[in-house]
Amino acid sequence: MDLLLDVLDQQLIDKHGRKSGKVDGIAIELREGKPPRVAYLDMGTDVLARRLSPRLERWLQRWRARIGREVVPFQVPWSKVKKVHLTVDADIDAVKEPGYHIERWLAEHVIGPIPGSQISHEDKQR
Amino acid sequence: MKNVLKVALGVLTGIGGFLDVGAIATSAEAGAVFGPRLLWVVAFGTLCIIFLVEMAGRLAAVSKHTLADALRERFGWKYFVIPFSCEVVVDLLVLAAEIGGVCLALQFVTGISYRWFAIPVALLLWLLIWLGSFAFVEDATSILGLVTLAFVVGAIKMRPDWHSVAAGFVPSAPAHDGPHYWYIALSIIGAIISPYLIYFYSSGAVEDGWSVKELRVNRVVATIGMGFGSVVAMGVMICAATTLLPAGIGMDDYAQAPLMLSRALGMWGFYLFAAALGVACFGACIEITLELAYLNAQTFGWNWGENVAPKKNARFAAIYTGAVLVAACITIVAGDPLKLTLFTMALTVTVLPLLLLPMIMLMNDRKFLGKHRNGWISNTMGVVIVVTVIVLAIFAIPLQILGG
Repeated sequence: MDLLLDVLDQQLIDKHGRKSGKVDGIAIELREGKPPRVAYLDMGTDVLARRLSPRLERWLQRWRARIGREVVPFQVPWSKVKKVHLTVDADIDAVKEPGYHIERWLAEHVIGPIPGSQISHEDKQR
Repeated sequence: MKNVLKVALGVLTGIGGFLDVGAIATSAEAGAVFGPRLLWVVAFGTLCIIFLVEMAGRLAAVSKHTLADALRERFGWKYFVIPFSCEVVVDLLVLAAEIGGVCLALQFVTGISYRWFAIPVALLLWLLIWLGSFAFVEDATSILGLVTLAFVVGAIKMRPDWHSVAAGFVPSAPAHDGPHYWYIALSIIGAIISPYLIYFYSSGAVEDGWSVKELRVNRVVATIGMGFGSVVAMGVMICAATTLLPAGIGMDDYAQAPLMLSRALGMWGFYLFAAALGVACFGACIEITLELAYLNAQTFGWNWGENVAPKKNARFAAIYTGAVLVAACITIVAGDPLKLTLFTMALTVTVLPLLLLPMIMLMNDRKFLGKHRNGWISNTMGVVIVVTVIVLAIFAIPLQILGG
């Protein structure tokens, strides 16, 4: 397996088969006298911003601090990763992870209250 | 039998997806100013989009990845963020232009200024996506899209000079008005090679659960579907060439545009023109709106799907809801829908290489496509497409200033 080719920027799937974000970053742990190992998958807009430029990340964090939002990092321990093939499948429940708060907030306050938001057509696959 | 049905639906989708405000406006403008001389550009653009759509469908069927998924994965966030952001901006503008097209059709029929229709049209658009299933949305736009065949009927009934029509398929440089000629040629390419169509098609293939078994269907659908759409666009150009050009009416005076069909079909022609314009643009609106939501969801890895209840993929639903609102506001503020259309087509061309070059590279990637990688025909065409769009992208801005 090649971390950069097969894991980074891959679709993360949780244990319920839910698409739970992309693998935005990979954290490697350097250990004295031993080979480095993958610690966790690092997810979220901060990581994306950092990959473009560290300055963008600082700017994003300052802006967040100003509106008073605390950021809980969304990290998936490597030990939870079950399968890497086409997608990265991890033994987590995305709904309980910090990355889910925007989705939950939108579902409860914006999308949910609109009539018809519960109508599903999932049985109508052609 | 099931495959026949799939092909039929795909072909209809092709007509619906291919023909939008851009294709109608650029073809009509070309016909009104240069007669059928730019037909070769439509033919060339069609050949390109057939290959590109086939590739997007093949990628989805073989790798189960949509184009956006695969591009981010293969080229990384740091690269993909560029075509992604460009695409979002261009799509919002194109959506605004398409909404403008629907509103213009309503203006023709009612006489009330198009601006008043932007919000109602946006609401109807949103409602269909909010409540409908993917199959419903796809089939409804496809079947309604058949009304655009009126342009083919109109073109034939106008008894064009078939010799000059045939001559239009031979690439030629104009004797006069060079910059304007090339500007329209470039806009036609921008209108036909729509990135939204490519992204939408690949997402649709995944929504419909395509697998390797669908590869043949994919090839037929891409060819016949896009080919049919192209014939309609050519019909538009010939209609304009036989009605607007002799009357000396340019497209700047778009209030005269219904003449394109009313000359051949009388009062029915007038209403058919409005209906064809409205339906084609509305179909495109649905595709672009959904595509914006797909693109964002696939880039950031959210749950997505038109069949899932909005509450279950709230971010996906929020994106299309927001996109419709923003685009409707752009329609109202931007003024002249025709100018907006031509401008967005040129803008599309400018950002095309950012998508198409990596896409062709991706189509040669063993990891994604295995033995279904591009063969030499697709790769030759791929090189032709990429070189063409790079040249066009370089000239897009200068030509817009000189000829737009």
